[in-house]
Amino acid sequence: MRARALLFSAALGFVMLAGCARKSAPVKSDPLQNAYGSEADWNDPQRIIPLNYEQVQGKQLFYQQCVWCHADQSPAGPSNRSNVTPTPPLWNDGATLNSLSDAFLEKFIAQGGSAMGKSAMMPPYGHTLTPAEIQALVAYARAIAVPPYGAASRPGHK
Amino acid sequence: MGRIFFGDPARRFAWVSLLLMLSLTVAPTKDFFRQWRHYQRQYSKFIQGRPNAAALRGRMVGGIHQIWLPHLGVVDRCTTCHLGIAEPTLAGAAVPEPFRAHPAIPHDAEAWGCVVCHRGQGSATEVAEAHQTTAAWEQPILRGRFIQASCGTCHRDDLPQAPRLDQGRQLLARLDCAGCHKIPGIDRPAMLGPDLTDIGTKVSRAWLYKWLKEPRTITDANGNLTVDGVDVGEPQMPTFRLADPELRDLSAYLSTRRAHPIQPYHFDPRVVAALSKRTDVADQGEARFRQMFCSTCHSLAVTRAGETALIGGDIGPELTKIGSKVNPEWLVAWLRDPQQYLPHSQMPRYEWSDSDLYEVTRYMETKLNDPQLLADVPPLASPTNTEIAAGRRLFVDKGCASCHVIEGLAPQKDFGPDLSTIGARNISELDFGRAKIPRTLIAYLQAKVSNPLSVNPDGRMPQYHLDKASLDAVTTALLSLTGPPATLGMEKLVVARPQPEFHTAGEFGKLYERYKCYACHKFNGFGGALAPDLSYEGSRATREWLIQFMENPQTLRPTLIFRMPQFNMPAREAGVIADYLKMAMQSPDVDASVNRKEFTPAMAAAGKQLYEKKYQCQACHTIGSTGGYVGPSLSFAGNWLTPGWVQAWLRNPQALVPGTIEPRQAFTADEIQDLTAYLLTLRQSGSTGSAAGTPSAQGTR
Repeated sequence: MRARALLFSAALGFVMLAGCARKSAPVKSDPLQNAYGSEADWNDPQRIIPLNYEQVQGKQLFYQQCVWCHADQSPAGPSNRSNVTPTPPLWNDGATLNSLSDAFLEKFIAQGGSAMGKSAMMPPYGHTLTPAEIQALVAYARAIAVPPYGAASRPGHK
Repeated sequence: MGRIFFGDPARRFAWVSLLLMLSLTVAPTKDFFRQWRHYQRQYSKFIQGRPNAAALRGRMVGGIHQIWLPHLGVVDRCTTCHLGIAEPTLAGAAVPEPFRAHPAIPHDAEAWGCVVCHRGQGSATEVAEAHQTTAAWEQPILRGRFIQASCGTCHRDDLPQAPRLDQGRQLLARLDCAGCHKIPGIDRPAMLGPDLTDIGTKVSRAWLYKWLKEPRTITDANGNLTVDGVDVGEPQMPTFRLADPELRDLSAYLSTRRAHPIQPYHFDPRVVAALSKRTDVADQGEARFRQMFCSTCHSLAVTRAGETALIGGDIGPELTKIGSKVNPEWLVAWLRDPQQYLPHSQMPRYEWSDSDLYEVTRYMETKLNDPQLLADVPPLASPTNTEIAAGRRLFVDKGCASCHVIEGLAPQKDFGPDLSTIGARNISELDFGRAKIPRTLIAYLQAKVSNPLSVNPDGRMPQYHLDKASLDAVTTALLSLTGPPATLGMEKLVVARPQPEFHTAGEFGKLYERYKCYACHKFNGFGGALAPDLSYEGSRATREWLIQFMENPQTLRPTLIFRMPQFNMPAREAGVIADYLKMAMQSPDVDASVNRKEFTPAMAAAGKQLYEKKYQCQACHTIGSTGGYVGPSLSFAGNWLTPGWVQAWLRNPQALVPGTIEPRQAFTADEIQDLTAYLLTLRQSGSTGSAAGTPSAQGTR
């Protein structure tokens, strides 16, 4: 009888302690599962790039405002790129855009080409888009850049 | 042995006391090992290594955190472990979860908490209980892939920030899911599928058999249907998995629906005599078909390099094999007056000359056909009464009557389940059948939509063929349907969907319905999005230009595939429409009293300099043959635009057309005057913009 009581209390204590030791499995992280949206790599449609909320907003704006001159194809068919001199960079052109800082690109979009000593064919968007929208456009460019953009590896990054 | 422990009362008491003390330590020990404490200790360790460790430590609060939103009925303890959620310095994939900062979103994550959007169990303090779906927790956690569903629970209007949700809602509407299901926010249109009251006058029984078996007549080698290289997924009519006897019965029933026989149209015999001798009558018809821009609403399949693509719009049905489908007499009657056959049709009623009508119908009958289309249909005798009666029953049982009207036949009420709260359904309420899928709401929805038989082999739901992106979009839209707001606070959050309508009486009203202007254009927020919004058209365009354009729509945007159809509109009707637009569709921001005489040649010369040098507008606009084509051609801006509109536009384009892509510039008042003066000088030589000019000579191509 006594031995059984002892055994019972020991078992109870053990069960209580065992409850504390339970470890949960780590939550698996799949970049596309967690992405707000995605975009296919322009050079390799098989590669899907996960985008966060800000980058998706940039993508939306890009396809409304910028796609006409900064992509090889526009929603209406041919691109207007060939009508613009000098030829504007593609929005995923990492070789050109990666070396420019976020601040520079944001200023360029807001003030236009002529204010920055470049072609006036790039109009200023500072009166049309909000600073957050311009930031989103730059964030989108960084996400789709080929070669990939690595902010941390460059000096003077924001 | 027993004596050592229980020898005398003192020993007994000592041992029992020890046991009691031991059991008393269980609770504190258990508490010490709680998961959230573990994560809080890890966080303390983690922030030691950060450059701003002191600041992070200063802001860290221990213990259980709780965000309580009483109006939403939400208790949220997620930030107990997700300690860095609002620390901008902890952003990026390099920071391990659960300490990473939340990516920037319009809502403040610290104020709203997590479960408002991510669902899951907010009051839980254990990883599994908070994140995983179990039979007890009603809401599975939503990750990024379907997170836009949560935007849709409060934002019932269109939400461009959530493209996947918007796409899903559009698919639910386009695929006519509302035909069988109750779906809040998606209105049942007046006509889901075509009215079949007189279908027997339009198509043959063999064609019906073929269509009911597989309602897709154009596919590429892989069985996909693509438009402009982009997979549009699914035609509106789904596949119903019918067996041969069912196909026979249904086709028998439908082919005998001919309540209102067609009145055959008699062409002028002189026109027929003259045209029937010509060998190129179908080619003439094709040219006319192109000139009239039927392709703005109807597509044709074109095969290039083995890839089949549909070229043209999707407002009306695709017409590649129409010649093998419809009865020639029906086609002529339809083209002359579509609403006679289908009162709800969006097809405009064109003004036809006998020769145009003859040529176009000959083109459609002889060139838009496929002699092999009905080759695999078994021989069908004339319908028997038994077949017709069985077909009539099938029409209701299979749910055809839920989308298609037939006079004298009532659809079953509530044919498919109500989907108003499908996004909040507990998994215990879902029938997974024998499907080998994870027991989650998301897996259920995806299985049900992609293959209804996988979860319910006896289900009546037809088969849709959605690609992965469309399937995710539809799943997102379905997950957003969580029912009416549970609390008053939530009700206040809901952004309702605006439902404008614009119809008007009088002569303009009749023409507006006849030409179906609203199928493509918007009027005060009502109508299609294919063509420019005409809410302020009266302020923008001159009356002369409007008349000329409606009589002979020339393109302002050379790259557009979709252009205004040529209705062969009589001059009087064009005048009525132009007068109405000038009178009623005005913008308060445009000064209609600005006189062209105010603008001098000197100003125009200065404006030309501004246009070409300072602002280089030619990057986007064409004048003559040079310039870009992002914006409309300005070659005849002087004929087209009113001076007040040009001024107001240059001041702020978005004030006149919200969302227009022309960026607003900081022009000075003088620059606006000069640019306006220059644009007003750009006129068509020898024409003052009268309605003169022969439409056919100018062409639209």
